[in-house]
Amino acid sequence: MSQMNGASSLVASLEAAGVDVMFGIPGGAILPAYDPIFSSSIRHILVRHEQGAGHAATGYAQVTGRVGVCIATSGPGATNLVTPLADAAMDSVPVVAITGQVPSVAIGTDAFQEADIRGITMPFAKHNYLITNPADIPRAIAEAFYIASTGRPGPVLVDIAKDALQAMTDFKYPTSVNLAGYKPKSIPDNQSILDAAALITQSSKPVFYVGGGVIKANASRELLELAQLLGAPVVTTLMARGAFPDSHPLHLGMPGMHGTVAAVTALQKADLLITLGARFDDRVTGKLSTFAVNAKVLHADIDPAEIGKNRFADVAVLGDLKNTISALIPALKSALAKNQPDLTPWLNQMNSLQAAYPLGYDKPNDGTLSPQYVIERLGKISGPEAIFAAGVGQHQMWASQFVSYENPRTWLNSGGLGTMGYAVPAAMGAKVGAPDTTVWAIDGDGCFQMTNQELTTCALNNIPIKVAIINNESLGMVRQWQTMFYEGRYSNTNLESKRVPNFPMLAEAMGCVGLSCEREEDVDATIEKAMGINDQPVVIDFRVHRDAMVWPMVAAGTSNDDIMIARETTPDWDSQEL
Amino acid sequence: MAQHILEVLVENSPGVLARVAGLFSRRAYNIERLSVGPTTDPSISQMDIVVNLEGHALEQVIAQLDKLINVISIKEIIPNKTAPAVHDTQPDYQN
Ligand SMILES: Cc1ncc(C[n+]2csc(CCOP(=O)(O)OP(=O)(O)O)c2C)c(N)n1
Ligand SMILES: [Mg+2]
Repeated sequence: MSQMNGASSLVASLEAAGVDVMFGIPGGAILPAYDPIFSSSIRHILVRHEQGAGHAATGYAQVTGRVGVCIATSGPGATNLVTPLADAAMDSVPVVAITGQVPSVAIGTDAFQEADIRGITMPFAKHNYLITNPADIPRAIAEAFYIASTGRPGPVLVDIAKDALQAMTDFKYPTSVNLAGYKPKSIPDNQSILDAAALITQSSKPVFYVGGGVIKANASRELLELAQLLGAPVVTTLMARGAFPDSHPLHLGMPGMHGTVAAVTALQKADLLITLGARFDDRVTGKLSTFAVNAKVLHADIDPAEIGKNRFADVAVLGDLKNTISALIPALKSALAKNQPDLTPWLNQMNSLQAAYPLGYDKPNDGTLSPQYVIERLGKISGPEAIFAAGVGQHQMWASQFVSYENPRTWLNSGGLGTMGYAVPAAMGAKVGAPDTTVWAIDGDGCFQMTNQELTTCALNNIPIKVAIINNESLGMVRQWQTMFYEGRYSNTNLESKRVPNFPMLAEAMGCVGLSCEREEDVDATIEKAMGINDQPVVIDFRVHRDAMVWPMVAAGTSNDDIMIARETTPDWDSQEL
Repeated sequence: MAQHILEVLVENSPGVLARVAGLFSRRAYNIERLSVGPTTDPSISQMDIVVNLEGHALEQVIAQLDKLINVISIKEIIPNKTAPAVHDTQPDYQN
């Protein structure tokens, strides 16, 4: 035990928690903490906006599997963290946010830069703290890291009053955390595993419905073994891209609003959904009452509240997915030894759908650049080890569809909240977590204009990310909806971003290399040029056709059965035996 | 619909009432009645929450409530019985 002020106790606690990097911006209320940060072993990266700090912490966490840390001052600093913390909550990312608060005597007086950030984040944070006594700091930090990283991961905020940072205290970091109301269940019950195995052997049309939980649990290898053991088709949701190799013959691709015909149909026509770390999100199910109506549901998750939330589960398995799948493999082996269902007809049906309706796109006939082509080349040239972070919009869906993901933690995006502006700061955090790996942000021209200032941070801190702006000079995804549902009345979706801003010049102004490309024949050379620059961030302005659309599509609120493969075109179901 | 009483033991920490009330409002569940009182352990309070829910909706409320870190245990008291049947939901919903 040693005497120090609360600020030093905070930094010593963060060191004890194993933090190696944090992203933040100082200000009055958090200023005492920035003094010990100055001499700490923890790398602090000074961002240009607190939203960037939050998404960077998220990107770091998604790539490394460790807790990402961001730090901000009271009031506006803290409220700028709200979006990335809500984002981390929706995508179950372990993040700890530290905020300064006005001195405890001033709390509740509408003091300068006072905001009730604990109250503001209460609806979505996994947990949060307001600390006014410096003696509570080490325990709060230890609990925050424990809560953020165990069970279903999520963001935890620790708000600390300025006077608690200034007062003297004894520092002693707890050796263990014991919370009466929080005991995550990581080992599944044996009976539930047996029930799951039995249910699987009764099925002749099973499909693995794989969600982001498989990546969180580092259970990709186990999933591969389980899937090959059963030989059933696999679909990976937007949050699970990379959990199962895209090149694997059992993989049907992504289900959902912009999923493949085969993946969407596999869920629709299955008699059993083997649901692993997925949550029956509306973007996957479409109109819930028409979703997979003939399927039984096996639901394995670590969060008990997900069981039965949107869809009844015939068998639920609660526990960490790595443990769950590991236990399921031998149980299924012995169940299959007694009763091996013939999945061949089902697999043949799905394979013929996959062959009939592969993902594809038409190149624009006016000679302008196809956004899908650019993204496809980015994936091919960068290779399966590269990490991709996307913004939100059409480019995000194409980045999910046309890059082939072979490894977990190589695809980062804002799936649940759909946060424009996620890509650049998340890529920054990812690159900090994986400095030797190529990290691309595939961003929209709209998204890029929300958070591109973090390129300055990247340039100054030797974080050489690469950014591909898919510049369709519009809020393309919204424009697509206007094309489809508002008779082409393009209200406020024209960004004119081929005129202003000049993206390469903007990039250069921030200390990056700025490139531009608008002809198909220049795409490879431009990407290769960017691949060759590793001492500076690079930004490529890909000036693409504006009217490209994302297909397939299940319109919001409609049934997955009504999937469109192009405008007013549905698959030719009569030619398929389903 | 039958009324159900949830006997919820919570850590006696600041903000815990806001956490519970906020959960009901954001997930659009109605609270019929709510009372908070001390227990013999000063670090633990008891909330009695009366809800007009049953079946699936009730299970969801309990599961979501149990996700709150400050919620220690939840007992569901089944109404309209002379000797109320009490079953502890804790084993299933240990978060
Ligand atoms: C912060 C935020 N504001 C608004 C939206 C609604 N929205 C979804 S996609 C989109 C367009 C994104 O435009 P761009 O970044 O250019 O991507 P594109 O669809 O053109 O590829 C908008 C405005 C959002 N998801 N996030
Ligand atoms: Mg755009």
